[in-house]
Amino acid sequence: MASLTLSPAEQDYITRGIEKGFRGDGRAGLDRREVTLRTNMISQANGSARCRTGYLGIGTDVLVGIKAEVCSWKPGEPEDKGTIVCNVECSPSAAQEFEGRGAEELNVELTQLLDRILNGPQSGIDLAKLCIIPKQDYWVLHVDALVLDVKGSIIDTLVWATRAALLSSKRPKVVVESIKDEDGNVHSEFDVVDDAEDQVALEGAENLPLTVTFNQIGKRYVVDASEQEEAVTQARLTVAVSPQTEICAVQKSGLMRGFPPSLLSEILQTARRIAREEFSRFNDLFTAANSTSAADEPSTGSTFLGTF
Amino acid sequence: MSTNVVDRRRVNGPARSVEPLYTSADTAESFVNGREDKRTLDQVRPIFMKTGPLSAQESELSLSATASAASGSAFYEQGKIRISCAVYGPRQGRKSNARMGSFDCDFRYAPFSCSWKRRSHIKAADEKEISLMLEHAIAPAIRVEAYPKACIDAFVTVIESDGRAATIAAAINCISAALADAGIEMYDSVAACSMGLRGSQWVADCTQSEEDVSSCSVLIAFMPSADEITYILQHGKSTPEQTDQAVQTCTNLCTRVYAVICRYLQSSLV
Repeated sequence: MASLTLSPAEQDYITRGIEKGFRGDGRAGLDRREVTLRTNMISQANGSARCRTGYLGIGTDVLVGIKAEVCSWKPGEPEDKGTIVCNVECSPSAAQEFEGRGAEELNVELTQLLDRILNGPQSGIDLAKLCIIPKQDYWVLHVDALVLDVKGSIIDTLVWATRAALLSSKRPKVVVESIKDEDGNVHSEFDVVDDAEDQVALEGAENLPLTVTFNQIGKRYVVDASEQEEAVTQARLTVAVSPQTEICAVQKSGLMRGFPPSLLSEILQTARRIAREEFSRFNDLFTAANSTSAADEPSTGSTFLGTF
Repeated sequence: MSTNVVDRRRVNGPARSVEPLYTSADTAESFVNGREDKRTLDQVRPIFMKTGPLSAQESELSLSATASAASGSAFYEQGKIRISCAVYGPRQGRKSNARMGSFDCDFRYAPFSCSWKRRSHIKAADEKEISLMLEHAIAPAIRVEAYPKACIDAFVTVIESDGRAATIAAAINCISAALADAGIEMYDSVAACSMGLRGSQWVADCTQSEEDVSSCSVLIAFMPSADEITYILQHGKSTPEQTDQAVQTCTNLCTRVYAVICRYLQSSLV
Protein backbone atom coordinates (compact mmCIF):
# COMPACT_ATOMS: atom_id res chain seq x y z
CA MET A 1 0.00 0.00 0.00
CA ALA A 2 1.20 3.53 -0.56
CA SER A 3 2.74 4.54 2.67
CA LEU A 4 4.36 7.49 4.32
CA THR A 5 7.91 7.48 5.50
CA LEU A 6 7.83 8.12 9.19
CA SER A 7 10.76 8.75 11.47
CA PRO A 8 11.41 6.13 14.14
CA ALA A 9 10.28 8.64 16.78
CA GLU A 10 6.94 9.15 15.04
CA GLN A 11 6.49 5.41 14.61
CA ASP A 12 7.18 4.85 18.28
CA TYR A 13 4.78 7.66 19.23
CA ILE A 14 1.93 6.18 17.20
CA THR A 15 2.59 2.61 18.32
CA ARG A 16 2.74 3.43 22.00
CA GLY A 17 -0.27 5.67 21.74
CA ILE A 18 -2.34 2.89 20.24
CA GLU A 19 -1.14 0.42 22.84
CA LYS A 20 -2.52 2.78 25.44
CA GLY A 21 -5.73 3.23 23.47
CA PHE A 22 -5.08 6.65 21.92
CA ARG A 23 -5.31 7.22 18.20
CA GLY A 24 -4.07 10.30 16.38
CA ASP A 25 -7.53 11.67 15.65
CA GLY A 26 -9.10 10.68 18.97
CA ARG A 27 -11.08 7.71 17.68
CA ALA A 28 -11.59 4.49 19.55
CA GLY A 29 -9.84 1.40 18.22
CA LEU A 30 -12.86 0.09 16.34
CA ASP A 31 -14.24 3.39 15.08
CA ARG A 32 -14.39 4.23 11.43
CA ARG A 33 -13.82 7.76 10.18
CA GLU A 34 -16.55 9.84 8.60
CA VAL A 35 -17.89 8.14 5.47
CA THR A 36 -19.50 10.01 2.61
CA LEU A 37 -21.42 8.06 0.01
CA ARG A 38 -22.96 9.20 -3.25
CA THR A 39 -24.65 7.04 -5.86
CA ASN A 40 -25.87 7.28 -9.45
CA MET A 41 -23.86 10.25 -10.50
CA ILE A 42 -22.48 8.74 -13.70
CA SER A 43 -25.37 8.71 -16.12
CA GLN A 44 -23.61 6.58 -18.73
CA ALA A 45 -23.03 3.74 -16.33
CA ASN A 46 -25.60 1.19 -15.23
CA GLY A 47 -24.69 1.94 -11.64
CA SER A 48 -22.14 4.06 -9.87
CA ALA A 49 -21.08 5.09 -6.43
CA ARG A 50 -18.41 7.18 -4.82
CA CYS A 51 -17.27 6.64 -1.28
CA ARG A 52 -14.89 8.69 0.79
CA THR A 53 -13.55 7.78 4.22
CA GLY A 54 -12.04 10.70 6.04
CA TYR A 55 -12.63 14.04 7.69
CA LEU A 56 -13.14 17.49 6.22
CA GLY A 57 -13.41 16.36 2.64
CA ILE A 58 -10.02 14.67 2.57
CA GLY A 59 -9.72 10.95 2.71
CA THR A 60 -9.56 7.71 0.80
CA ASP A 61 -11.75 8.22 -2.23
CA VAL A 62 -12.98 5.43 -4.48
CA LEU A 63 -15.27 5.71 -7.47
CA VAL A 64 -16.96 2.60 -8.82
CA GLY A 65 -18.85 2.30 -12.10
CA ILE A 66 -20.91 -0.65 -13.25
CA LYS A 67 -21.46 -1.47 -16.90
CA ALA A 68 -23.66 -4.30 -18.05
CA GLU A 69 -22.84 -5.99 -21.32
CA VAL A 70 -24.20 -8.99 -23.13
CA CYS A 71 -21.78 -11.78 -23.81
CA SER A 72 -22.03 -14.88 -25.99
CA TRP A 73 -21.64 -18.21 -24.33
CA LYS A 74 -18.63 -20.33 -25.24
CA PRO A 75 -18.34 -24.08 -24.60
CA GLY A 76 -16.75 -24.70 -21.24
CA GLU A 77 -18.40 -21.75 -19.47
CA PRO A 78 -21.22 -22.26 -16.98
CA GLU A 79 -24.41 -22.74 -18.95
CA ASP A 80 -26.96 -20.83 -16.92
CA LYS A 81 -25.13 -18.08 -15.13
CA GLY A 82 -23.93 -14.58 -15.80
CA THR A 83 -20.64 -13.31 -14.49
CA ILE A 84 -19.04 -10.33 -12.81
CA VAL A 85 -15.70 -8.99 -14.00
CA CYS A 86 -13.79 -6.69 -11.66
CA ASN A 87 -11.04 -4.23 -12.32
CA VAL A 88 -9.48 -1.87 -9.84
CA GLU A 89 -7.14 0.89 -10.86
CA CYS A 90 -5.29 3.29 -8.65
CA SER A 91 -5.13 6.66 -10.31
CA PRO A 92 -1.81 8.51 -10.29
CA SER A 93 -3.68 11.41 -8.73
CA ALA A 94 -3.75 9.44 -5.50
CA ALA A 95 -0.02 9.13 -5.01
CA GLN A 96 3.08 9.89 -6.99
CA GLU A 97 4.28 6.30 -6.86
CA PHE A 98 1.16 5.24 -8.76
CA GLU A 99 2.24 6.78 -12.02
CA GLY A 100 3.20 4.50 -14.88
CA ARG A 101 3.35 0.92 -13.67
CA GLY A 102 3.92 1.82 -10.05
CA ALA A 103 0.44 0.80 -8.98
CA GLU A 104 0.46 -2.50 -10.85
CA GLU A 105 0.95 -4.70 -7.78
CA LEU A 106 -1.66 -2.86 -5.78
CA ASN A 107 -4.12 -2.99 -8.69
CA VAL A 108 -3.69 -6.74 -9.00
CA GLU A 109 -4.09 -7.26 -5.26
CA LEU A 110 -7.26 -5.19 -5.02
CA THR A 111 -8.75 -6.64 -8.21
CA GLN A 112 -8.23 -10.21 -7.07
CA LEU A 113 -9.63 -9.45 -3.62
CA LEU A 114 -12.76 -7.91 -5.11
CA ASP A 115 -13.07 -10.79 -7.54
CA ARG A 116 -12.84 -13.27 -4.67
CA ILE A 117 -15.64 -11.51 -2.83
CA LEU A 118 -17.96 -10.94 -5.79
CA ASN A 119 -17.64 -13.99 -7.99
CA GLY A 120 -19.33 -16.94 -6.48
CA PRO A 121 -22.11 -17.78 -4.05
CA GLN A 122 -20.38 -15.85 -1.26
CA SER A 123 -21.40 -12.56 -2.83
CA GLY A 124 -25.07 -13.35 -2.43
CA ILE A 125 -25.80 -12.13 -5.95
CA ASP A 126 -28.08 -14.35 -7.97
CA LEU A 127 -25.89 -15.04 -10.98
CA ALA A 128 -28.54 -17.29 -12.50
CA LYS A 129 -30.75 -14.24 -13.01
CA LEU A 130 -28.00 -12.72 -15.12
CA CYS A 131 -28.41 -15.48 -17.67
CA ILE A 132 -30.48 -14.41 -20.70
CA ILE A 133 -30.63 -17.57 -22.80
CA PRO A 134 -28.89 -20.65 -21.38
CA LYS A 135 -25.92 -21.80 -23.48
CA GLN A 136 -26.29 -18.74 -25.63
CA ASP A 137 -26.22 -15.28 -24.04
CA TYR A 138 -25.67 -13.87 -20.59
CA TRP A 139 -25.08 -10.56 -18.86
CA VAL A 140 -21.57 -9.59 -17.82
CA LEU A 141 -21.39 -6.94 -15.12
CA HIS A 142 -18.17 -4.99 -15.34
CA VAL A 143 -17.24 -3.51 -11.99
CA ASP A 144 -14.60 -0.87 -12.59
CA ALA A 145 -13.18 0.89 -9.58
CA LEU A 146 -10.99 3.95 -9.66
CA VAL A 147 -9.07 4.88 -6.54
CA LEU A 148 -8.84 8.64 -6.57
CA ASP A 149 -7.15 9.31 -3.27
CA VAL A 150 -5.43 7.21 -0.68
CA LYS A 151 -5.41 8.17 2.98
CA GLY A 152 -5.42 4.75 4.55
CA SER A 153 -7.92 1.90 4.45
CA ILE A 154 -8.39 1.43 0.71
CA ILE A 155 -9.99 -2.01 0.89
CA ASP A 156 -12.91 -1.05 3.11
CA THR A 157 -13.69 2.08 1.11
CA LEU A 158 -13.45 0.11 -2.12
CA VAL A 159 -15.88 -2.54 -0.93
CA TRP A 160 -18.32 0.05 0.48
CA ALA A 161 -18.33 1.85 -2.86
CA THR A 162 -18.73 -1.40 -4.78
CA ARG A 163 -21.65 -2.50 -2.63
CA ALA A 164 -23.35 0.86 -3.07
CA ALA A 165 -22.79 0.78 -6.82
CA LEU A 166 -24.14 -2.75 -7.22
CA LEU A 167 -27.14 -2.03 -4.98
CA SER A 168 -28.07 0.98 -7.07
CA SER A 169 -27.30 -0.60 -10.44
CA LYS A 170 -30.02 -1.20 -12.98
CA ARG A 171 -29.85 -3.04 -16.26
CA PRO A 172 -32.33 -3.01 -19.17
CA LYS A 173 -35.08 -5.56 -19.34
CA VAL A 174 -34.72 -8.36 -21.82
CA VAL A 175 -37.48 -10.06 -23.80
CA VAL A 176 -36.76 -13.61 -24.94
CA GLU A 177 -38.75 -15.16 -27.75
CA SER A 178 -38.61 -18.50 -29.48
CA ILE A 179 -38.39 -18.39 -33.22
CA LYS A 180 -39.10 -21.23 -35.57
CA ASP A 181 -37.14 -21.06 -38.78
CA GLU A 182 -37.84 -22.71 -42.16
CA ASP A 183 -36.36 -26.09 -41.20
CA GLY A 184 -38.58 -26.34 -38.17
CA ASN A 185 -35.76 -25.72 -35.71
CA VAL A 186 -36.67 -23.66 -32.69
CA HIS A 187 -34.13 -21.26 -31.36
CA SER A 188 -34.32 -18.39 -28.94
CA GLU A 189 -33.55 -14.77 -29.51
CA PHE A 190 -33.66 -11.86 -27.19
CA ASP A 191 -34.36 -8.17 -27.47
CA VAL A 192 -33.24 -5.50 -25.09
CA VAL A 193 -36.07 -3.21 -24.05
CA ASP A 194 -35.00 0.37 -24.63
CA ASP A 195 -36.87 1.97 -21.77
CA ALA A 196 -34.86 3.97 -19.29
CA GLU A 197 -37.67 3.92 -16.74
CA ASP A 198 -38.28 0.18 -16.85
CA GLN A 199 -35.08 -1.40 -15.68
CA VAL A 200 -34.14 -4.33 -13.50
CA ALA A 201 -32.19 -4.04 -10.27
CA LEU A 202 -29.51 -6.55 -9.41
CA GLU A 203 -31.08 -9.50 -7.62
CA GLY A 204 -29.38 -10.46 -4.40
CA ALA A 205 -27.30 -7.29 -4.13
CA GLU A 206 -28.58 -6.73 -0.59
CA ASN A 207 -26.65 -9.86 0.43
CA LEU A 208 -23.32 -8.38 -0.60
CA PRO A 209 -20.71 -8.41 2.14
CA LEU A 210 -18.79 -5.51 3.63
CA THR A 211 -15.17 -5.77 4.68
CA VAL A 212 -13.55 -4.75 7.92
CA THR A 213 -9.79 -4.39 7.89
CA PHE A 214 -7.93 -4.86 11.15
CA ASN A 215 -4.43 -3.45 11.41
CA GLN A 216 -2.15 -4.86 14.04
CA ILE A 217 0.02 -2.22 15.63
CA GLY A 218 2.12 -3.33 18.56
CA LYS A 219 -0.08 -5.56 20.67
CA ARG A 220 -3.40 -3.98 19.71
CA TYR A 221 -5.40 -3.82 16.53
CA VAL A 222 -7.39 -0.97 15.03
CA VAL A 223 -10.06 -0.65 12.39
CA ASP A 224 -9.86 1.83 9.52
CA ALA A 225 -6.24 2.86 9.87
CA SER A 226 -5.23 6.33 8.78
CA GLU A 227 -2.18 6.82 6.59
CA GLN A 228 0.13 7.23 9.58
CA GLU A 229 -1.26 4.17 11.31
CA GLU A 230 -0.84 2.10 8.16
CA ALA A 231 2.82 3.07 8.02
CA VAL A 232 3.39 1.40 11.39
CA THR A 233 1.09 -1.55 10.76
CA GLN A 234 2.86 -4.86 11.10
CA ALA A 235 0.12 -7.12 9.83
CA ARG A 236 -3.34 -6.60 8.40
CA LEU A 237 -6.38 -8.85 8.28
CA THR A 238 -9.33 -8.16 6.01
CA VAL A 239 -12.56 -9.95 6.89
CA ALA A 240 -15.62 -9.80 4.62
CA VAL A 241 -18.88 -10.29 6.51
CA SER A 242 -22.31 -10.73 4.94
CA PRO A 243 -25.49 -9.14 6.37
CA GLN A 244 -26.27 -12.58 7.79
CA THR A 245 -22.90 -12.45 9.65
CA GLU A 246 -21.34 -15.18 7.58
CA ILE A 247 -17.64 -14.88 6.80
CA CYS A 248 -17.28 -14.42 3.04
CA ALA A 249 -13.55 -13.87 2.75
CA VAL A 250 -10.52 -13.59 4.96
CA GLN A 251 -7.15 -12.35 3.80
CA LYS A 252 -4.04 -11.45 5.68
CA SER A 253 -1.39 -9.14 4.36
CA GLY A 254 1.73 -7.66 5.84
CA LEU A 255 5.34 -8.62 5.49
CA MET A 256 6.54 -8.12 9.01
CA ARG A 257 4.71 -10.58 11.18
CA GLY A 258 1.83 -12.98 11.51
CA PHE A 259 -1.01 -13.38 14.02
CA PRO A 260 -1.05 -15.79 16.94
CA PRO A 261 -4.05 -18.15 16.51
CA SER A 262 -5.77 -16.74 19.58
CA LEU A 263 -5.59 -13.19 18.22
CA LEU A 264 -6.94 -14.42 14.90
CA SER A 265 -10.01 -15.93 16.59
CA GLU A 266 -10.52 -12.74 18.57
CA ILE A 267 -10.38 -10.63 15.42
CA LEU A 268 -12.89 -12.87 13.62
CA GLN A 269 -15.28 -12.53 16.57
CA THR A 270 -14.84 -8.76 16.64
CA ALA A 271 -15.56 -8.62 12.92
CA ARG A 272 -18.84 -10.41 13.50
CA ARG A 273 -19.72 -8.13 16.36
CA ILE A 274 -19.16 -4.80 14.63
CA ALA A 275 -20.58 -6.02 11.30
CA ARG A 276 -24.08 -5.21 12.41
CA GLU A 277 -23.24 -1.59 13.17
CA GLU A 278 -21.30 -1.29 9.94
CA PHE A 279 -24.27 -2.51 7.91
CA SER A 280 -26.74 -0.22 9.61
CA ARG A 281 -24.38 2.71 9.06
CA PHE A 282 -23.99 1.76 5.41
CA ASN A 283 -27.73 1.44 4.94
CA ASP A 284 -28.36 4.87 6.47
CA LEU A 285 -25.80 6.48 4.19
CA PHE A 286 -27.08 4.60 1.17
CA THR A 287 -30.70 5.59 1.77
CA ALA A 288 -29.63 9.20 2.22
CA ALA A 289 -27.59 9.06 -0.99
CA ASN A 290 -30.46 7.63 -2.99
CA SER A 291 -33.04 10.01 -1.65
CA THR A 292 -31.35 13.00 -3.27
CA SER A 293 -33.33 12.89 -6.47
CA ALA A 294 -32.11 14.25 -9.79
CA ALA A 295 -34.60 17.10 -9.71
CA ASP A 296 -32.90 18.68 -6.73
CA GLU A 297 -29.49 18.70 -8.36
CA PRO A 298 -28.32 21.85 -10.08
CA SER A 299 -27.57 21.12 -13.70
CA THR A 300 -24.06 22.49 -13.57
CA GLY A 301 -20.87 20.49 -13.61
CA SER A 302 -20.37 21.00 -9.93
CA THR A 303 -22.88 18.23 -9.23
CA PHE A 304 -20.15 15.67 -9.20
CA LEU A 305 -18.15 17.48 -6.60
CA GLY A 306 -21.22 19.22 -5.22
CA THR A 307 -21.95 18.43 -1.63
CA PHE A 308 -19.54 15.52 -1.60
CA MET B 1 -6.97 -11.74 -19.42
CA SER B 2 -7.04 -10.44 -22.94
CA THR B 3 -6.74 -13.03 -25.66
CA ASN B 4 -5.77 -10.36 -28.17
CA VAL B 5 -2.23 -9.99 -26.84
CA VAL B 6 0.10 -11.26 -29.52
CA ASP B 7 3.20 -13.00 -28.22
CA ARG B 8 5.91 -11.95 -30.65
CA ARG B 9 8.82 -13.56 -28.91
CA ARG B 10 7.86 -17.14 -29.49
CA VAL B 11 6.73 -19.28 -32.37
CA ASN B 12 3.04 -19.44 -31.67
CA GLY B 13 0.51 -22.14 -32.25
CA PRO B 14 -2.76 -21.46 -34.04
CA ALA B 15 -4.41 -18.17 -33.14
CA ARG B 16 -7.42 -19.86 -31.67
CA SER B 17 -7.40 -23.25 -30.06
CA VAL B 18 -9.46 -24.66 -27.22
CA GLU B 19 -9.10 -27.58 -24.92
CA PRO B 20 -11.26 -30.59 -25.79
CA LEU B 21 -14.56 -30.91 -23.98
CA TYR B 22 -15.73 -34.17 -22.54
CA THR B 23 -19.41 -34.42 -23.36
CA SER B 24 -20.34 -37.38 -21.22
CA ALA B 25 -20.80 -36.34 -17.62
CA ASP B 26 -19.72 -39.67 -16.22
CA THR B 27 -17.35 -38.15 -13.69
CA ALA B 28 -17.74 -39.95 -10.42
CA GLU B 29 -18.93 -37.90 -7.45
CA SER B 30 -15.82 -37.06 -5.48
CA PHE B 31 -17.06 -38.12 -2.06
CA VAL B 32 -19.46 -40.93 -2.85
CA ASN B 33 -17.50 -43.67 -1.10
CA GLY B 34 -15.16 -41.62 1.02
CA ARG B 35 -12.35 -39.80 -0.73
CA GLU B 36 -11.04 -41.02 -4.05
CA ASP B 37 -7.56 -41.69 -2.73
CA LYS B 38 -8.92 -43.32 0.44
CA ARG B 39 -7.57 -40.65 2.76
CA THR B 40 -9.41 -39.69 5.92
CA LEU B 41 -10.99 -36.27 6.14
CA ASP B 42 -8.08 -34.79 8.08
CA GLN B 43 -5.25 -36.45 6.22
CA VAL B 44 -2.80 -34.52 4.09
CA ARG B 45 -1.41 -36.08 0.93
CA PRO B 46 1.98 -37.82 1.29
CA ILE B 47 4.87 -35.40 0.95
CA PHE B 48 8.18 -35.94 -0.79
CA MET B 49 10.85 -33.30 -0.81
CA LYS B 50 14.37 -32.92 -2.06
CA THR B 51 16.62 -29.93 -1.61
CA GLY B 52 19.52 -29.13 -3.83
CA PRO B 53 19.55 -28.95 -7.63
CA LEU B 54 17.26 -31.36 -9.45
CA SER B 55 20.10 -32.75 -11.51
CA ALA B 56 22.21 -33.78 -8.50
CA GLN B 57 23.62 -37.23 -9.00
CA GLU B 58 24.29 -39.43 -6.01
CA SER B 59 27.49 -41.34 -6.54
CA GLU B 60 30.64 -42.23 -4.62
CA LEU B 61 32.69 -39.99 -6.87
CA SER B 62 30.77 -36.78 -6.67
CA LEU B 63 31.61 -34.66 -3.69
CA SER B 64 28.46 -32.66 -3.75
CA ALA B 65 25.61 -31.83 -6.01
CA THR B 66 26.51 -30.26 -9.35
CA ALA B 67 27.10 -26.58 -8.93
CA SER B 68 23.98 -24.65 -9.47
CA ALA B 69 23.61 -20.92 -9.91
CA ALA B 70 20.93 -20.81 -7.25
CA SER B 71 21.86 -20.35 -3.60
CA GLY B 72 19.30 -22.92 -2.64
CA SER B 73 16.63 -24.95 -4.30
CA ALA B 74 13.99 -27.49 -3.50
CA PHE B 75 11.69 -29.86 -5.29
CA TYR B 76 8.44 -30.64 -3.52
CA GLU B 77 5.75 -33.22 -4.18
CA GLN B 78 2.44 -33.60 -2.41
CA GLY B 79 0.25 -36.18 -4.05
CA LYS B 80 0.12 -35.08 -7.67
CA ILE B 81 1.34 -31.57 -6.96
CA ARG B 82 4.91 -30.99 -8.10
CA ILE B 83 6.67 -27.73 -7.47
CA SER B 84 10.23 -26.58 -7.88
CA CYS B 85 11.71 -23.52 -6.25
CA ALA B 86 15.03 -21.74 -6.58
CA VAL B 87 16.27 -19.13 -4.13
CA TYR B 88 18.82 -16.52 -5.10
CA GLY B 89 20.37 -14.45 -2.37
CA PRO B 90 21.25 -12.66 -0.36
CA ARG B 91 22.42 -10.53 -3.23
CA GLN B 92 22.57 -6.84 -3.95
CA GLY B 93 19.23 -5.20 -3.41
CA ARG B 94 17.51 -2.57 -5.46
CA LYS B 95 17.59 0.09 -2.77
CA SER B 96 21.04 0.86 -1.55
CA ASN B 97 19.85 2.56 1.60
CA ALA B 98 17.51 -0.13 2.89
CA ARG B 99 17.98 -0.97 6.55
CA MET B 100 16.40 -4.34 6.08
CA GLY B 101 16.57 -6.95 3.36
CA SER B 102 13.68 -7.53 1.02
CA PHE B 103 12.11 -10.79 0.03
CA ASP B 104 10.61 -11.16 -3.44
CA CYS B 105 8.77 -14.07 -4.81
CA ASP B 106 7.98 -14.98 -8.38
CA PHE B 107 5.29 -17.58 -8.88
CA ARG B 108 4.29 -19.14 -12.13
CA TYR B 109 2.41 -22.11 -13.46
CA ALA B 110 4.07 -24.09 -16.22
CA PRO B 111 1.76 -24.01 -19.26
CA PHE B 112 1.01 -27.73 -18.92
CA SER B 113 0.52 -27.76 -15.17
CA CYS B 114 -3.17 -27.09 -14.70
CA SER B 115 -6.00 -29.46 -15.41
CA TRP B 116 -8.44 -26.80 -16.42
CA LYS B 117 -6.70 -24.98 -19.25
CA ARG B 118 -3.34 -24.48 -20.88
CA ARG B 119 -1.74 -21.46 -19.28
CA SER B 120 -0.20 -18.73 -21.31
CA HIS B 121 3.48 -17.80 -21.03
CA ILE B 122 2.40 -14.33 -20.12
CA LYS B 123 1.83 -13.91 -16.41
CA ALA B 124 -1.82 -13.78 -15.51
CA ALA B 125 -3.28 -11.70 -12.69
CA ASP B 126 -3.75 -14.69 -10.42
CA GLU B 127 -0.09 -15.66 -10.72
CA LYS B 128 0.88 -12.12 -9.78
CA GLU B 129 -1.45 -12.22 -6.82
CA ILE B 130 -0.14 -15.58 -5.65
CA SER B 131 3.39 -14.14 -5.79
CA LEU B 132 2.26 -11.44 -3.36
CA MET B 133 0.52 -14.03 -1.19
CA LEU B 134 3.70 -16.08 -0.94
CA GLU B 135 5.67 -12.98 0.00
CA HIS B 136 3.22 -12.14 2.78
CA ALA B 137 3.31 -15.71 4.02
CA ILE B 138 7.07 -16.19 4.13
CA ALA B 139 8.57 -12.74 4.76
CA PRO B 140 7.62 -12.73 8.48
CA ALA B 141 9.82 -15.80 8.96
CA ILE B 142 12.98 -14.34 7.46
CA ARG B 143 15.41 -12.37 9.58
CA VAL B 144 15.48 -9.45 7.19
CA GLU B 145 17.33 -7.27 9.65
CA ALA B 146 20.34 -9.55 9.12
CA TYR B 147 20.48 -8.65 5.42
CA PRO B 148 20.52 -4.87 5.03
CA LYS B 149 20.71 -3.59 1.46
CA ALA B 150 20.27 -7.14 0.20
CA CYS B 151 17.42 -8.94 -1.46
CA ILE B 152 16.39 -12.55 -1.43
CA ASP B 153 14.52 -13.81 -4.49
CA ALA B 154 12.51 -16.99 -4.70
CA PHE B 155 11.36 -18.33 -8.05
CA VAL B 156 8.61 -20.91 -7.89
CA THR B 157 7.49 -22.99 -10.84
CA VAL B 158 4.48 -25.25 -10.56
CA ILE B 159 5.20 -28.27 -12.68
CA GLU B 160 1.95 -29.97 -11.88
CA SER B 161 -1.00 -28.61 -9.96
CA ASP B 162 -3.88 -30.40 -8.22
CA GLY B 163 -6.17 -28.10 -6.30
CA ARG B 164 -5.68 -24.33 -6.33
CA ALA B 165 -5.42 -23.77 -2.58
CA ALA B 166 -3.38 -26.93 -2.07
CA THR B 167 -0.90 -25.83 -4.73
CA ILE B 168 -0.35 -22.49 -3.00
CA ALA B 169 0.17 -24.29 0.32
CA ALA B 170 2.64 -26.63 -1.34
CA ALA B 171 4.46 -23.64 -2.85
CA ILE B 172 4.87 -22.13 0.63
CA ASN B 173 6.33 -25.38 1.95
CA CYS B 174 8.64 -25.61 -1.04
CA ILE B 175 9.95 -22.09 -0.56
CA SER B 176 10.60 -22.76 3.15
CA ALA B 177 12.70 -25.75 2.19
CA ALA B 178 14.58 -23.85 -0.50
CA LEU B 179 15.32 -20.97 1.88
CA ALA B 180 16.68 -23.43 4.42
CA ASP B 181 18.79 -25.00 1.69
CA ALA B 182 20.15 -21.57 0.81
CA GLY B 183 21.14 -20.98 4.40
CA ILE B 184 18.97 -17.88 4.82
CA GLU B 185 18.52 -16.99 8.47
CA MET B 186 14.94 -17.55 9.54
CA TYR B 187 12.98 -17.52 12.77
CA ASP B 188 11.25 -20.71 11.80
CA SER B 189 10.16 -22.67 8.76
CA VAL B 190 6.71 -21.84 7.48
CA ALA B 191 4.40 -24.78 6.92
CA ALA B 192 1.12 -24.39 5.09
CA CYS B 193 -1.99 -26.43 4.59
CA SER B 194 -5.39 -25.96 3.02
CA MET B 195 -8.90 -27.22 3.68
CA GLY B 196 -12.13 -27.31 1.72
CA LEU B 197 -15.66 -27.11 3.03
CA ARG B 198 -18.05 -29.69 1.70
CA GLY B 199 -21.51 -29.26 3.13
CA SER B 200 -20.65 -28.66 6.76
CA GLN B 201 -17.59 -30.86 6.85
CA TRP B 202 -14.03 -29.57 6.49
CA VAL B 203 -11.83 -31.76 4.32
CA ALA B 204 -8.06 -31.46 4.50
CA ASP B 205 -5.89 -30.89 1.44
CA CYS B 206 -8.42 -31.08 -1.37
CA THR B 207 -7.50 -32.28 -4.83
CA GLN B 208 -8.86 -30.39 -7.83
CA SER B 209 -11.92 -32.60 -8.19
CA GLU B 210 -12.66 -32.28 -4.46
CA GLU B 211 -12.15 -28.51 -4.61
CA ASP B 212 -14.61 -28.22 -7.49
CA VAL B 213 -17.40 -29.53 -5.28
CA SER B 214 -16.49 -27.62 -2.14
CA SER B 215 -18.11 -24.30 -1.29
CA CYS B 216 -15.27 -22.70 0.58
CA SER B 217 -11.52 -23.11 0.93
CA VAL B 218 -9.19 -21.97 3.68
CA LEU B 219 -5.41 -21.74 3.36
CA ILE B 220 -3.23 -21.24 6.41
CA ALA B 221 0.53 -20.77 6.74
CA PHE B 222 1.87 -21.29 10.25
CA MET B 223 5.15 -21.02 12.13
CA PRO B 224 4.87 -23.62 14.92
CA SER B 225 7.83 -22.51 17.04
CA ALA B 226 6.75 -18.89 16.98
CA ASP B 227 3.06 -19.85 17.22
CA GLU B 228 2.14 -17.35 14.55
CA ILE B 229 -0.18 -17.68 11.60
CA THR B 230 1.70 -15.87 8.88
CA TYR B 231 -1.01 -16.15 6.26
CA ILE B 232 -4.69 -16.92 6.08
CA LEU B 233 -6.90 -16.85 3.02
CA GLN B 234 -10.54 -17.79 2.92
CA HIS B 235 -12.24 -18.05 -0.44
CA GLY B 236 -15.98 -18.67 -0.22
CA LYS B 237 -18.61 -18.38 2.45
CA SER B 238 -18.81 -20.07 5.82
CA THR B 239 -20.29 -19.39 9.22
CA PRO B 240 -17.93 -17.84 11.79
CA GLU B 241 -17.93 -21.09 13.79
CA GLN B 242 -16.89 -23.01 10.71
CA THR B 243 -14.09 -20.55 10.03
CA ASP B 244 -12.89 -20.90 13.62
CA GLN B 245 -12.97 -24.65 13.35
CA ALA B 246 -11.04 -24.55 10.08
CA VAL B 247 -8.38 -22.28 11.59
CA GLN B 248 -7.85 -24.65 14.50
CA THR B 249 -7.79 -27.85 12.46
CA CYS B 250 -5.64 -26.36 9.72
CA THR B 251 -3.13 -25.03 12.24
CA ASN B 252 -2.76 -28.54 13.67
CA LEU B 253 -2.25 -29.95 10.19
CA CYS B 254 0.40 -27.31 9.52
CA THR B 255 2.28 -28.55 12.57
CA ARG B 256 2.26 -32.06 11.11
CA VAL B 257 3.48 -30.81 7.74
CA TYR B 258 6.16 -28.83 9.54
CA ALA B 259 7.42 -32.03 11.19
CA VAL B 260 7.72 -33.67 7.77
CA ILE B 261 9.62 -30.72 6.31
CA CYS B 262 12.02 -30.67 9.27
CA ARG B 263 12.68 -34.39 8.89
CA TYR B 264 13.52 -34.00 5.23
CA LEU B 265 15.78 -31.03 5.92
CA GLN B 266 17.61 -32.94 8.65
CA SER B 267 18.12 -35.98 6.44
CA SER B 268 19.49 -33.78 3.67
CA LEU B 269 22.32 -32.76 5.96
CA VAL B 270 23.45 -36.32 6.55
